[in-house]
Amino acid sequence: MIDFQMLIIMPIVIGVVLFLLPDNLKIIKGVISLLISAYTAYLSVMVFSLPHQFIATLGSINWLYIPGFEKFMDLKVDGLSKLIVLFIGIFGFLYSLYSLSYNRRRAPNSEPNHIPGNYHTYYLITLGASFGVALTDNLLLFVFLWGLLGLTLYKLIKGHNEESSAAAKKTLVLIGASDSVLILGIGLLYICSHTFKISDIHLGTTTTLSTVAFLSLLIACMTKAGAFPFHTWIPDYTKDAPASISAYLPASLDKLLGIYFLARMCMSTFILSGWVTLLLLIIGALTIITSVLMALVQHNYKRLLGYCAVSQVGYMITGLALGTPLGIAGGLFHMVNHAIYKGGLFLTAGSVEKHTGKEELGELGGLCKYMPVTFAAALVFALSISGIPPLNGFYSKWMIYTGIIEFGSGKGIANQLWMIWLTLAMLGSSLTLASFVKLISGIYLGRKNEQIGTVKEVGFPMFFPQIFLAMLCIAFGIFAARWVIPEFFEFTGIGSWKSLPGLWNAPSVSIMILISIIVGFIIYWMGTLKTSRRSDSFVGGEKLQQELSFSSLEFYKTIGTMKFFNYFYDKANKKWFDVYHLGKECVLGLSSALSVCHTGILSTYVVWVVLGVATIMVLLII
Amino acid sequence: MGIEIFYFLIFPGLLFSGIMGGFISWVDRKITARVQFRQGPPLLQPLYDFVKLFAKETIIPSNGSITTFILAPLFALFGATISAVFILLPVLGVETGFTAGIIVILYLLNIPAISYIIGALASGNPLAAVGASREMKLILSYELPLILVLISVIIKSGMAIRFSDIVTYQLTHGAFIGSLSGIMGFVTILMCIQAKMGLVPFDMAEGEGEICDGIIIEFSGSILAIFKLTKYIMFLALPAFVSGLFFGGLSLSGINILWSILKVFAVVLLITLIRNTNPRVRIEQAMKFFWLWMNLIAVICVILAVLGI
Repeated sequence: MIDFQMLIIMPIVIGVVLFLLPDNLKIIKGVISLLISAYTAYLSVMVFSLPHQFIATLGSINWLYIPGFEKFMDLKVDGLSKLIVLFIGIFGFLYSLYSLSYNRRRAPNSEPNHIPGNYHTYYLITLGASFGVALTDNLLLFVFLWGLLGLTLYKLIKGHNEESSAAAKKTLVLIGASDSVLILGIGLLYICSHTFKISDIHLGTTTTLSTVAFLSLLIACMTKAGAFPFHTWIPDYTKDAPASISAYLPASLDKLLGIYFLARMCMSTFILSGWVTLLLLIIGALTIITSVLMALVQHNYKRLLGYCAVSQVGYMITGLALGTPLGIAGGLFHMVNHAIYKGGLFLTAGSVEKHTGKEELGELGGLCKYMPVTFAAALVFALSISGIPPLNGFYSKWMIYTGIIEFGSGKGIANQLWMIWLTLAMLGSSLTLASFVKLISGIYLGRKNEQIGTVKEVGFPMFFPQIFLAMLCIAFGIFAARWVIPEFFEFTGIGSWKSLPGLWNAPSVSIMILISIIVGFIIYWMGTLKTSRRSDSFVGGEKLQQELSFSSLEFYKTIGTMKFFNYFYDKANKKWFDVYHLGKECVLGLSSALSVCHTGILSTYVVWVVLGVATIMVLLII
Repeated sequence: MGIEIFYFLIFPGLLFSGIMGGFISWVDRKITARVQFRQGPPLLQPLYDFVKLFAKETIIPSNGSITTFILAPLFALFGATISAVFILLPVLGVETGFTAGIIVILYLLNIPAISYIIGALASGNPLAAVGASREMKLILSYELPLILVLISVIIKSGMAIRFSDIVTYQLTHGAFIGSLSGIMGFVTILMCIQAKMGLVPFDMAEGEGEICDGIIIEFSGSILAIFKLTKYIMFLALPAFVSGLFFGGLSLSGINILWSILKVFAVVLLITLIRNTNPRVRIEQAMKFFWLWMNLIAVICVILAVLGI
């Protein structure tokens, strides 16, 4: 019997202990954090092998012997939380390994590194809290750990200049505000159901109270996972945070937990009515399209990845909103796939950033020769996120598409509009492809920018997580129907679907890829490839000069100049779609209106006081 | 597994669709020649072209990534062949477990274009990069109308997503081209495959006159031979796809052979005539054309399909 309370307690306690070590012992701290995350990864695999509906308690940490403490400490392992715990464990270990090398010194001529202080402390606390969120069966413990995650998220970005401080503040404000809405929702949930035990709550969304509760919890999930219109912290955060942290929190753990809680809400806590389904589908479709359009015009590659991380959330929400077994499984599978490839993309971005010191697409180019492994991994991730068969991103997106068509046979309004959801989801996929063609070509292909000094391939601690995740992308895509979905996703509460196999036979098709490569090489061998000559590019007979290039930044300028898109981008640049910005404007507007009353003239104040007292008197008398 | 490899390599995959596609490309060139009052090439010209390239020197750009540059055409060949298999098996009425949904086919048909984009960018040639960016914008342009047409076909066939079900549905209920929405869908998809094949007026990714063949500028020798082969296969697969979606598929028994040839020939004739009677448009004109006009037609087509017209 394993003691899986350690999964939650150990990282948090060791994390707090690491506070005591001075920050110059970075390597020792890193190694400790690696060992702890390796141990929790082992424990999470053990948890995955536990039976369904396994119940435990965290009550043994009641060192102060507070009476009644135990009932808030219930843990529960079911199919869904097992899945989340397993992947948190895996990602926790991989990114900890990556951080070992990433946090060390940068390229000699680049800016100083922006690793926040007490990095490993907050890293471990995040790990423990995430396990807790996935395992707890009590809403109070849940909201405590959920809030803790918001705090560590804030502490893991370093405010080294005005922009990054603003990003950190924005993150804290948005996450904090959503947490307060979450507390409101949990309060309402308690009023409706008189219990804090998550597995005992089953509510309809027909009464006003329960609908408001649902919407409050939904806002919390949407902010955490990053769905339109509460997503705006993600691109800013990923631009300035260390790449390992972008991979760890916004790309992997926040998605896993946000979508986990949404899935829990959709599957057991609430019974969705037709209107709620429609609302969720609208949110999903808007998230997919708006963010990917923003990704298309970004120049900073980490920001581009941030926008794409938002866009993919739309697919997960769409899948979960369908409420059919196929849709939910598709949404959850996409969540896992997204965590794999987006995490991987941030890691490769971090490798490039570490070895070149450049963050703009326009300053890079031609790195595929110097970083072949990073390039290969990045290409796999990029093709996967763009939904190219037979990779994993294709499989989960395709499950969602098929789910939408199947959902379209139903009777409700949301069902009748299936073609809109399908069109937007599929269009979003090609726009994602377009933005990743820009990213891959801007960083790795084309000609090397002369300003970049010598670049070499990354070392093992950074190399291994990238390759491992790329392998997972390929394996999850090929063996999705035979192994991955039966093994990880066919748990109670989802039901089953049998119509899928036969429509997409990934293993056979993958063998065809190998055959085509073999046939192709036979053709090459018969031809003249072995006696090939290498020559400079042909540019109409001119001598190819360094300045002569077509930057990937120019790729989609045509789209930006079109009237409709120009209007949209213009408004987006003025932050019309940014909830944080709008909220800030409202608060500042209100305070400037109130400041009119504060004239500093005593007699005016006296009049206000007398008027106030008179009003209260009148109210009391009535 | 053995039978699947047979489907892939021999019939209706690589060998069959390579030869048939070569023949169709000869038809295309012959019609073009007649339109321009020329004699036109002999029947075996596509084969000569293919074989000749083996003897030609292969030049590899010294700037780019060799591996990506060499592998990209192979993935394109794979994409074209596998979509040809998944399209031709149901269209020809071959009963087999090796089938695919219509959405899968749509994505497999995109693989050749994506491979060329990556291959072209890997060559490090600025003109190839211009071509690649145009190709990508072209994909963005025709993707939306194509999706809408497929949705209208799904609605018309009673929510069937298996390509073979769509073909058999038309055998019992009549071909979709017989309805108003079917005609509109056909017109839209014809434009989309014109762009997918990179034929005039949508050949701006290759643009011989301005960017010296754009995305294929650096391909030569046997690598270019693979490119040609992929093009031949697409020349069969796309018209067959259209005939499966709107004409109720093909058949290889008795007098039906003649009908089948006519169906494919009709599509090829239309494509060829469009390419011979139009000048190349600029990329933003093409984008406007698809996003505004083709989407409008496709949306009306979906609405009509919902109404059952």
